[in-house]
Amino acid sequence: METARPMALRTGERRRISRMRQRQITFFLFIAPWLTGFVFLQALPLLVGLLTSFTNYDGLNLDSVRFVGLRNYVRAFSDPDTGYSFSRTLLWSALNVPLWLVGAFGLALLLNRDMKGRGIFRTLLYIPSVVPVVATIWVWRIFLDTNYGALNGMLSLVRPGTAVPFLTDHALQSLTAIALWTGLGSGMVIFLAGLQGISTELVEAARLDGANRLQITQHITLPLMSPIIFFQFVLALIASFQQLVIPLLLSSIGGQISVPPRSSYLYMVHVYQQIFVNQRFGYGTALLWLLFVVILVLTLIIFRTSRYWVHYETDQEGGKR
Amino acid sequence: MSRPTDETNAHRALSRRQFLRALSLGSGAALLAACGATPAAIAPTSAPAPAAPTVAPAAPTSAPAVTSSSVLLTMMGRRSEFNEDLQQTFETANSGVTIEFIEFDQARLFAMATAGNTPDLIRVQAPDVPQLLSRNLLLDLTPYFQASSVLKLADLAPANNAYKAESPLKVGSGAIYGMVKDWSPDLSLFAYKAAFEEAGVALPATDTPITYAELAELATKLTKIDGDRIARWGYGFDDARTDRIWMSILAEQGQSLYSDDFTTMNLVGNDTARAVVQYFYDLAQARATPTPINPSPTWPGEDFTKGTVGLAQYGFWFSAMAESDITKDQVVMLPAPTWSGGRINPTITGTGLVVSAQSKNPDAAWKLFEWYMGGEPSVDRAKSGWGVPALVSQYVLLPTESPFQQQVGAVLTSELPYAEQPLQFNPYLGGSAVNNIWKAQLEQALRGSLSFDEMLAAIERETNVAIQDGLDRTS
Amino acid sequence: MSAITTPRRPAVHAPAWVRPLLTYLILGTVAALVLLPVIWLIVTSLKRDVEYLAYPISFWPSELQWGNYAAALTMIPFFNYVWNSLILGLTYTILCVISSAMGGFAFARFPVPGRNALFTLVVAMLMLPAIVTIIPQFMIFARLGLTNSYWPWVLWGLAGSPFHIFLFRQFFAAFPKELEEAAEIDGCGPFRIFWQIFLPNARPVIATSAIFNFVWVWGDWFTPMIYLSDRNTTLAVKLATAYVSPQGLPIIPVTLAACVLYTIPPIVLFFFGQRYIMQGVVTSGLKG
Repeated sequence: METARPMALRTGERRRISRMRQRQITFFLFIAPWLTGFVFLQALPLLVGLLTSFTNYDGLNLDSVRFVGLRNYVRAFSDPDTGYSFSRTLLWSALNVPLWLVGAFGLALLLNRDMKGRGIFRTLLYIPSVVPVVATIWVWRIFLDTNYGALNGMLSLVRPGTAVPFLTDHALQSLTAIALWTGLGSGMVIFLAGLQGISTELVEAARLDGANRLQITQHITLPLMSPIIFFQFVLALIASFQQLVIPLLLSSIGGQISVPPRSSYLYMVHVYQQIFVNQRFGYGTALLWLLFVVILVLTLIIFRTSRYWVHYETDQEGGKR
Repeated sequence: MSRPTDETNAHRALSRRQFLRALSLGSGAALLAACGATPAAIAPTSAPAPAAPTVAPAAPTSAPAVTSSSVLLTMMGRRSEFNEDLQQTFETANSGVTIEFIEFDQARLFAMATAGNTPDLIRVQAPDVPQLLSRNLLLDLTPYFQASSVLKLADLAPANNAYKAESPLKVGSGAIYGMVKDWSPDLSLFAYKAAFEEAGVALPATDTPITYAELAELATKLTKIDGDRIARWGYGFDDARTDRIWMSILAEQGQSLYSDDFTTMNLVGNDTARAVVQYFYDLAQARATPTPINPSPTWPGEDFTKGTVGLAQYGFWFSAMAESDITKDQVVMLPAPTWSGGRINPTITGTGLVVSAQSKNPDAAWKLFEWYMGGEPSVDRAKSGWGVPALVSQYVLLPTESPFQQQVGAVLTSELPYAEQPLQFNPYLGGSAVNNIWKAQLEQALRGSLSFDEMLAAIERETNVAIQDGLDRTS
Repeated sequence: MSAITTPRRPAVHAPAWVRPLLTYLILGTVAALVLLPVIWLIVTSLKRDVEYLAYPISFWPSELQWGNYAAALTMIPFFNYVWNSLILGLTYTILCVISSAMGGFAFARFPVPGRNALFTLVVAMLMLPAIVTIIPQFMIFARLGLTNSYWPWVLWGLAGSPFHIFLFRQFFAAFPKELEEAAEIDGCGPFRIFWQIFLPNARPVIATSAIFNFVWVWGDWFTPMIYLSDRNTTLAVKLATAYVSPQGLPIIPVTLAACVLYTIPPIVLFFFGQRYIMQGVVTSGLKG
């Protein structure tokens, strides 16, 4: 499918239309793999997933599955744990997202410099991102444990008998630390990749004009990086709202699902309890769709505001060019 | 796709390969099978204990279909309980049978059950039986047991009663749906002698049970606090299954956490039940056990092996790991405590195997079941000492070399009579539902945001909602 | 790792050694904080079972237990599972990078009607936790007879991933317009523009995407748990389930030893892959 050059010599109007059509066909060809996958692998399961939220499905066979109308959705609003876990999730996201964005971007800026050993530093900082989740959980658990943990052990060298309950009384902060630990590396990598797209000539020219490092960052790097920052922001938000594995596994041993402390009883943890502990698959799915709507609205708001602060080379909003 | 032969089960892609292989190996094998030259040769190769069978089991009434062509069995369990070597041994002895082994996972089981693909054999625990039964997911194995010369109903250890049921609401007798792989009277105690010496407390007698009240007293004395830290908990129990401990204490009084039809929880209005919950609440308040606000970094049994728990309440199986480098020669097993003089010590886990009612190859599934439960693997398990054998005839295989093993064996023998009656679990509740409710409420109570009575009411309320959901799904 | 593109720093600014020193100081501190748990991981993997949570705390093993590493390698057919992870990771990575790049390119450079709606759909797929579709999706694959095989990963890879489509879109959207216009004037069709101009200039994002995809499959235990059987599952699943006592309780130092071994391949991959991330070619090649 090459763009059809021979058709070029028609009236301007028709040429514009046919060019438009060509572009449209090309567009769909490029997204065909994703679109096909979406239709066959996603659309149907999604539909079933939506239907599930209107049933009493429990994960076992389908013998006693019935439609229960909006009952699961009504229940979501009368269940006090829904609101509670959602508020914890908001708080946790407010902690996690900014720290992660700033941290990852800062590290990327530092490591983008021409300096000795930056390859080593980058690798070292990336290591936690590839530590398997089993190890992450165990290491942090034995690191932060109240009575027998390494950190309290070190603190006890200074003040004997110290036992800060990091994983229970300060569960949300600990969760943030662990999530940052595992996530900073990959955030840094994406920012680093983005920084490579910034024209060195542009930076050089600005410097010759007497701009200092801060000014360059503010007026060149940040605007040019805004699409990547935007991407990271959206994704970090989505990931924060969906955080499940760390709090859940931190309080579960040997495959036995337990409840995390109230402080880190996040929305997805609540959902997980409903589905896998109480076998309320229908209800749990309804909770997930509600979460989806919330994230969707938040993301749309971010997308709407993006035109004011995200700098794209091509027009992203309209259909013309 | 191959023409779906009668044996092909859901995993078509795989069975095609087997189908082709069967074609190429060809008619020879099929002929042999037809001539009966290869009777499912799964006779336990290393003949176990006296009473153990020595001949190949005759297949039950329903035709020896196993060898006629390729069969794919799916088994969902733990690799650590059925390793690659065992699988290979079985497959070699039963040509044509291939096992697709799947590591146990709740989500996977849900997915497979919903897709109508339930594994032929599933690892479950006794508390799961009533619910699975109420959903018609379990195959009645009674005819197979009756025909088996390996697994005789009379030879089954008491814990297997948890897999017998007349209805989901009446387990203990009737048709049999599965077996434990091994089991233990789960409420025995293990004492760490060094902790007793440090605290200056006398070790309880090993032939008479202490009361729970005495246990609480010991727990407080054995607890060692160092500054803000707990250097040792006096008492550690299976806090992933606290409600099952309550149930067994109540069973000792002839009472239950639930109404007779299991449709409501009786906690607030039942003084005995209140007292039992109060007991665990008080221990938590006293910091004498791990709690949701000061939990064990792993699980109390492992803490025990590090010397950081004084008395651990686990079953006989725990004796296989109780002696670590730290606790070597320092462990004594004690009988299960009593609440008010009665004695009871059932299994609260009873991990075992069931066959799916959806299985397309029940005969082959039974072959594997029979071999796993009565053949070589069961002998290995019995000799390992990681649990009481599921067959009475294999009790003699338990290890008795070390003085500790002998001491443990003596206590076990004295406890076995009290393990006959299985606990009746609620068919409308998932296995960890109540425990998770308890933990969440206990955390709030310990933090002072709920009074004891409020906590109790909340547990009852949330459990009753969960029961209602279960009822709604079952009917 | 030294001679890459960044320009010579003009020596106009004050004491030349202050800034690097500060940089090293910050990086050193962060690295130390990040590495503390990593070190604790390695130290614990060398402890005896009774040492890792003992009281009082033992900071250093009384005797280094290299046997834990031997056990990690022998308790399960370790390298079989390494191989499975590798095959699955590479297959998925290659397919996913290509098809996501195509999708990202289309969404970034073709402002045709309907694009924004479709892109919203892509991003929306990120917002829906996977639990919603686990069971229906499993049912489809079971019906097709593709469970217990790697086919689901092939199909998922072919379909690209919303995360990576989004990632490529953001990078391609930042490419200068002139790049494309010049090529179009020279008579390049969109596929050639994509293949010969955008992709070669996108090495940093391709490397990033490849590393992320690989690391994701390498570390993912949930999906293989749902779709694969013990025979063909990945190492991530075994790490979570295999190093246990006969009653299924985890043996931590051995598990952690296995985790350390398991972490090495992706780290090596990253160490050598990062040079591609650091190749800035977009602008310098064309505008200069």
